[in-house]
Amino acid sequence: MKLWVYVLRRLILLLPTLIGLTFLVFALEHLGGTALILAQYIDPHLTGTARQQLVEQLTARFHLNDPVYVQYFYWLAAILQGDWGFSTTIRQPVTTGFLWFMPNTIMLTIVASALTWIISVPIGVYSAARRDSILDQGVRVVTFTLYSMPIFLIGYALFLTLGTGWRILPSQFNIDPILLPTIPRTWFDDTNSVSYPTHILAIDAFLHGDWTIAWNAFLHVILPSVALALALLAGIIRILRASMLEVLDQDYIRLARAKGVPERLVNNFHAKKNALLPTVTSYGYLVSGLFGGAVVIEYIFTFKGIGWWTTFAFLHQDVGVVMGSTLVFGVILVATTLILDILYAFLDPRIRYE
Amino acid sequence: MATVLEHKARFDELKLSAKVFFANKTAVAGLVIFLVFMGDALIVQIAPGVLGVTYPNDVIPPQFTQTNPECDNMPPEPPSLSHPFGTFEYGQQGIGCLDLLQLVMKAIRIDIAIAFFIVLVGAAIGTLLGVVSGYVGKWLDEVLMRVTDVFFSVPFLILALAVGYVIGRTLFNMALALIIIWWPLYARYGRSLTLTTKEATFIESARASGSGHLKIMFRHLLPNVLPPILVQISLDVGTVILIFSTLAFIGFLPSNVLLPELGAIANFGLDLAPLGFWWTVVVPGGVITLFALSVNLMGDGLRDVIDPRRRS
Repeated sequence: MKLWVYVLRRLILLLPTLIGLTFLVFALEHLGGTALILAQYIDPHLTGTARQQLVEQLTARFHLNDPVYVQYFYWLAAILQGDWGFSTTIRQPVTTGFLWFMPNTIMLTIVASALTWIISVPIGVYSAARRDSILDQGVRVVTFTLYSMPIFLIGYALFLTLGTGWRILPSQFNIDPILLPTIPRTWFDDTNSVSYPTHILAIDAFLHGDWTIAWNAFLHVILPSVALALALLAGIIRILRASMLEVLDQDYIRLARAKGVPERLVNNFHAKKNALLPTVTSYGYLVSGLFGGAVVIEYIFTFKGIGWWTTFAFLHQDVGVVMGSTLVFGVILVATTLILDILYAFLDPRIRYE
Repeated sequence: MATVLEHKARFDELKLSAKVFFANKTAVAGLVIFLVFMGDALIVQIAPGVLGVTYPNDVIPPQFTQTNPECDNMPPEPPSLSHPFGTFEYGQQGIGCLDLLQLVMKAIRIDIAIAFFIVLVGAAIGTLLGVVSGYVGKWLDEVLMRVTDVFFSVPFLILALAVGYVIGRTLFNMALALIIIWWPLYARYGRSLTLTTKEATFIESARASGSGHLKIMFRHLLPNVLPPILVQISLDVGTVILIFSTLAFIGFLPSNVLLPELGAIANFGLDLAPLGFWWTVVVPGGVITLFALSVNLMGDGLRDVIDPRRRS
């Protein structure tokens, strides 16, 4: 099978998942009758006849008196047109909020993933190569403990020690509040604290040549991403170690050793590459944990991405955001899994024939 | 005679399994910690007085403020001999001098109960659906797999938040939301186990001797699928406790509900810990870690028992 055929097949298989995902969110919104869907599209400050009019308008628009399967299509049409309702927490359309907060979450997850790989690959390879040595035992103890820790404890331990305790790194918000007034209003929206054009403060400040702010914003990214990486690390190291041990048992490794290849080369060249392949796919399973973890970590560090926004909206009865992030996170997760699968098929042609 | 031999074979099998498990020292350590947790839950359920626990369902005992007026606005005290885990201060009105060890002992019972409830109900629903769809196959199987795909397509924490938002933020609904997330895992697992067991000769002979589909599914397939599922259940108890305590930590339960649950206690500690009262978050979090760790260690041992390559 050619790679593009495989990609096409995976894309077609994606359709039922995406339809199911939208239907799941729609079904959740309709569990409590039409109250939630009305709450999503009505500004709560609207009262009296204006509100009544809007309710009638929405009832007509979403065909709320028709059977549920009819309503689904009108709801889906609104979602596809980008009309996701009104967010009461930021007093803006829900989609605007996602545009503002999404880049921060994406950056956080990318930095955390990169950190995870940088730290876990050498550790996993090394502890498999020196199986049952003291170092391997130590690695196993640490990964087992990290693996058993709830993510909030990992995040909060960093928050309490490096953050508020020893004050080594900033642990709250995306920038020091004292610096907020100094950001030029030309690229920073003060009322909503949103920067332009990328909405990631560190990058925007960098683009506009404001080094103090860029550096400060960058410092605010470190703790959340390290916390997230620590939460993911243990899983990756365990998978990589197991996969490495399996590879080291193969005949071609024995051959390499027999023909006199130095042990360092055997590990880093012959074994590591093959051990990494299955780890790439298992990373796909961890992505779900990555996004779930981002929610908790952003909440702890008040890091303003969609995770923080979702919990904030959850605690402040902002239904459009909670439902919207279910959709958004769902689509991101599906897309990430797809990309990883394609990457895997590209790296390992055998996968395409299964 | 045959049955006696059969019994002996089964007994030897069990003895070997136990031997493999107990040879693994860390697994035994896990088992011991797990039993301590279970013992705590059981004693608090049956005779809370033995551990000195009063009012196992309440964070603040009734009429506590009337009888202990000195506890108003009493800041938390660090761990000491009289309070090994320190004390806690709850709520807006600030009711202090609540012994954290006692809170934790109450919370363990509730946490373990929820964890088992979620995993058992989720496993029951999922396994049943998995076995049926694996056995029947065809379009039913296809539909079920696509449905589980949908549930896997949303990060579980966010799905739990969304479900909880709709059905209401109570402890029972939190468990319900997690069951909704948990059953697809078992549906997949039960299905894959069924697919491999379905091809076995004893199923073929059952069919040849005229057993109906229902009998094959529930008398022949299900009992053979169950053992690995049971091991998975025991492993998942540790995972699920991490997830729902995290949910409680980000404020799933409304803050006026004072419930002795480890994540909820840590959530209340959020206001206190940055002021220097670190134990209000670290202790409940550490207890969850210890429980999950014991389950994971035990699971490692159980995997040795099941994996035929590692037992000899």
